[in-house]
Amino acid sequence: MHNIWLIAKREYTERIRTKGFIIATVLIPTLMGGGIFAATALANHSKTGSHIAVVTSQPQPATDLKQQLENGKDTTMTVDILPPLPEITKALDKQMDDKKLDGYLVIHQDTQPATYDFTPRSSADIATSTAVKDGLQSAIQREYLTQHGASSSEIDAFTQPIKLNIVGKGGKTDARTSFIVAYILFFLMYMVVLMYGMNVARSIIEEKTSRIFEVLLATIKPQELLAGKILGVGAVGLTQVGVWMIAAAGIATYAGAMSNVSISATQAIFFIIYFALGYSLYSSVAAALGAMTNSEQELQQLNMFLMMPLFFCMLMIGPLVSNPNSTLSRIVSQIPFCAPLLMNFRISLSMPQPWEIALSIALILVTIYIVLSISSRIYRVGILMYGKKPNLPEILRWLKYS
Amino acid sequence: MPIVELQNIRKVYDTKVAVEGLTLSIEPGTMFGLLGPNGSGKTSSIRMMIGMTVPDSGTVRLFDKPFARTSLHKVGYLPEERGLYKKMKVLDQLIFLGQLHGLDEATARKRSIAWCERMEITEAIAKKTEELSKGMQQKIQFIAALLHEPDLIIMDEPFSGLDPVNATLLMDTLVSLRTEGKAILFSTHRMDQVEKLCDSIALISRGKLLLSGSMRAIKAEYPRNRLQVSFTGDDTFLRHGGIAEFKNYSGIAEIKLHSEAEAQQILAEAIANGTHINRFEVMEPTLEEIFIENVRASFGDEEAGGRVLA
Repeated sequence: MHNIWLIAKREYTERIRTKGFIIATVLIPTLMGGGIFAATALANHSKTGSHIAVVTSQPQPATDLKQQLENGKDTTMTVDILPPLPEITKALDKQMDDKKLDGYLVIHQDTQPATYDFTPRSSADIATSTAVKDGLQSAIQREYLTQHGASSSEIDAFTQPIKLNIVGKGGKTDARTSFIVAYILFFLMYMVVLMYGMNVARSIIEEKTSRIFEVLLATIKPQELLAGKILGVGAVGLTQVGVWMIAAAGIATYAGAMSNVSISATQAIFFIIYFALGYSLYSSVAAALGAMTNSEQELQQLNMFLMMPLFFCMLMIGPLVSNPNSTLSRIVSQIPFCAPLLMNFRISLSMPQPWEIALSIALILVTIYIVLSISSRIYRVGILMYGKKPNLPEILRWLKYS
Repeated sequence: MPIVELQNIRKVYDTKVAVEGLTLSIEPGTMFGLLGPNGSGKTSSIRMMIGMTVPDSGTVRLFDKPFARTSLHKVGYLPEERGLYKKMKVLDQLIFLGQLHGLDEATARKRSIAWCERMEITEAIAKKTEELSKGMQQKIQFIAALLHEPDLIIMDEPFSGLDPVNATLLMDTLVSLRTEGKAILFSTHRMDQVEKLCDSIALISRGKLLLSGSMRAIKAEYPRNRLQVSFTGDDTFLRHGGIAEFKNYSGIAEIKLHSEAEAQQILAEAIANGTHINRFEVMEPTLEEIFIENVRASFGDEEAGGRVLA
């Protein structure tokens, strides 16, 4: 046990000191936070402040439109109302070329129905055209309602956008936010399991190329070395996820942007349980891959063994989302290599039966035991084999060595 | 009480027999040389000695007890393939390796610093391993093998790649450890080092033991039919009938005789011819000659040429 502890401690302290770890741990939340701030800032800025002209012969709906666009909820535009003088469009075109005007709207009320021609300075300025369209729509509605005797407050009540609240079963949680959280947790687990699984393999290759194994194996057993390595690297992974989660919580409370997206204690606990299981399973496979190969390049060729089940999980998200409790969902979330991701995903979506969770954990544990016993045999022989990459029959023979 | 005792051990990898029926024992306070051409099973034997691999048959005893992993805390091992964590600081690395050998952190730290001073590499202590020269890394690893004051020191090619100054420093250290009563086993191709340092040797080739025993006993088995003559002047004495073969390196001749008795006649003839003799020495064959002769015999001559001399 003491040796396992020493190995894990070394692995942990050396890893968290590396630049890569510090950068990834600090940079990802920074980028995440920065992204959220930037998005908020942009959302505020995207209130269109364009300057447009309206060419019309009648005061309505142009006056209402001006009112809408200059003091609207999402717009602070400047609107000039001009009479339809001849050559006016040429003059306006000139103004646009001089960048004094962002566009002009020509209303032909003599046609039935009326036509509205909007000429933007840049056809990419969708915000302005959308604002004009929405403003017109609302101005015409208002005009019509006013003509039919509705009061201003009645019109406000009538045109109020409807807010659709999505309420989870039992009225407890907002199902949409739990869905977002489920996605976030899924991809976080996917990323961390894969990344740290590969780190185990890489660390084995590194020790293999530096030939340090010969020294280590002169005092400790390969199984202890493997256990220490998996624990140490896993602890680094948990540290990183922990830092990220704390940072995410900080950003959420500070920015308030995600305040309705909260991770419940249940989700956090199951995430940690399934992360530990998933990581142990995948890193055991990665350990065998690392022991079989001599270089990162060779590892790249084999890492599809890690990627494939994870990729399969990703494909299964669709069916799971559309029906979390279908037979297909129940079956795929019991496959040990998928369960850490998919069962955890189902837990976030809609809580499965307790026996399903228990069964999936039991199946993963059994699989970990089997995989670990196979890969520790491969590891034991493989780490002292240099040079040629072994083929399958050779690896099968390794399993028989004592 | 032998420190290491191998009884008839055998190890087969797939179809290749790595070690076959090897028996040897190492006493405390001896310097033991394990010799053999490349790929002869030296490293395989050492690995079985320290439990890295398990022999298919035969027994390994360490410190007069059947092999147990707990005994490994009394063994220091310097593998042939040098290996250290490249990115780790030297002191951290030594402490870590010391702790793996059962030391507590404070002791490991104290001894690491003391050893670095003894090995004249104090300036390396704070550096990362990858910043050091190969020779320095080798010294660090040498220290790592000795930190826990092992009673059995196993060194696979300890001097390869070192300059003469450092090689001598390591050799002197090993000699002083032997006088402290430690058993030292090392493998090497350099026969001159073995001749100078070792009390006992074992020569293996193709996984089999060819010779073993104390250096003196082994040499005594061979006739003293070698002459080394340093001379100036006339060299006609080299054509004396008693000489089986000779090599003349401009003034220093290495001569193999048909029998020891002819040495005096040759000396007499050389003096009679007026050759000026600076040195005249009758000797056993050198270890190198014994090595080559035995290994050749084990391979069959043609095959041996390339493999032994490589």
